[in-house]
Amino acid sequence: MIEARELDKRLPDGKVLLDRVSFKALPGEFVALLGASGAGKTLTIRAMAGLTNLTSGDVRLTINPGESRSIAQAKGRELRRLRSQVGVIFQGLQLVKRLTVIENVMIGRLGSIHPVRSWLYGFTDGEASQAYTALERVGMQSFAGRITGSLSGGEMQRVAVARAVHQKPLLYLADEPIASLDPRNAETVMAMLQMLSRETLVVGAFHQPDLVRRYCTRAIALRQGKVVYDGPPALSQSQLLEVYGAEIATMEQQVGLQ
Amino acid sequence: MIAGYSAPRQFLRRLSAIGGLALALVWAAGLCEFQWKGLADSALRVLEILRGFFPPDWSAAEEILPEAAKTLLLASAATLIGSVLSVPIGLAGARNIAPPWLRLPVRLLLGLERATPDVLLLLFFVVAFGLGSFAGILTLGLSSVAMLGKLMADAIEEADPHVAESVRATGADLSQTIRYGVIPEVLPALVSNTMFRFDYNIRSTIILGAVGAGGLGQEILFSISRTNYERATLAALATLVLIVTAEQVGNSLRQRWMRDLRK
Repeated sequence: MIEARELDKRLPDGKVLLDRVSFKALPGEFVALLGASGAGKTLTIRAMAGLTNLTSGDVRLTINPGESRSIAQAKGRELRRLRSQVGVIFQGLQLVKRLTVIENVMIGRLGSIHPVRSWLYGFTDGEASQAYTALERVGMQSFAGRITGSLSGGEMQRVAVARAVHQKPLLYLADEPIASLDPRNAETVMAMLQMLSRETLVVGAFHQPDLVRRYCTRAIALRQGKVVYDGPPALSQSQLLEVYGAEIATMEQQVGLQ
Repeated sequence: MIAGYSAPRQFLRRLSAIGGLALALVWAAGLCEFQWKGLADSALRVLEILRGFFPPDWSAAEEILPEAAKTLLLASAATLIGSVLSVPIGLAGARNIAPPWLRLPVRLLLGLERATPDVLLLLFFVVAFGLGSFAGILTLGLSSVAMLGKLMADAIEEADPHVAESVRATGADLSQTIRYGVIPEVLPALVSNTMFRFDYNIRSTIILGAVGAGGLGQEILFSISRTNYERATLAALATLVLIVTAEQVGNSLRQRWMRDLRK
């Protein structure tokens, strides 16, 4: 289980990026964060992964039944240990282009590998065969030896999923994993995340209410850093307008549509 | 006329640029007391002198070949030193990796070295360690470190921070993030810069050799000062072969590297 408690993030100039964002997510759920650009989806994901400092609030990850740890307050070794329990699925373009596909997948386990071994020896054959299994789960095993930079966007995105799978985390966080994909690849990746969510909690940020309705079990909508909706993934037209409304209106003003 | 573009004005702009360049050229010629008449007069004399350089003195090959090998070794050793050290130094000088207390002194030292002419450095090392290849390797090695280190630091600063962050998010520590998220991404720049520097180092050993670093440069200088022009020609030919070969090898290595990405 992961719990966001009153996540608050403000810039020094007083601008509010996250405004008391709170929710709990349990194993078996596939939670979607919805909201317009700049609403705080990515920032919420980053806070849960321990990749950003909050002004206040806490993120608690349950690592054993009845035992939870704070990701927001963790530092150094403890933070790295918690990060290794959280599988972040980034956009595929964030893979290391110069390494092979299987190397990129093996990077998922770095948190449990001693740095000295990383520099002097590298990964083991055992890790490679486990990484291969992770690639099989996303149907990318035939690409294992390819240089990652030569893959298409959809292929890279599946490798990014495999990296997180190889990490064997307690939960998956996906930061707009289908934002740059064509509709067919987007469906494939959503189906993969749905499959993963049957064993492990998945929380993702998405821009497509339609796909969220069809694949997710729950939606949390943010607007200007605030949770404005938390419930079933099928949002009504008026609810969607409330989530995206004002921003769309401003945009239309800017391009002169009024 | 459309706002933002005017054909006559574009034409005028080009015309004035060409005119300005021509003026600058004439002015520069006047500044350096360019002798139009002397040029014509001495053309014949230049031809006469050039004839003295041919044919090359092939009998000197036995003595020149070891000098060529020495030049090659000198350039290779200096390039290797520069290439290997440029990675840690580049990391220490990169804004996205190193804290200011480390980065600023590193950048300052690199800048100081690059501001110092190689010849000055060599003279210093010659005084310290005596004439010969050792002073040459130190000079070119240091100069290579300074240039490659700066280029590496710049390449690291330009590397995609999102790639490194995705590695960090797995729980990797800083050294692992550098190993897997930064170095692979800047490796092409390292290879390309190293090849360029190798080429530069070979040419540089000729000039530094003449100042006392040994190798072909020294050979050319000594041959000319002893008016043994045919011998100097052979040494120059050896230099040419070295430079062209180095360039070819460098190009094919680089191309193989690039093909790797496309396969």
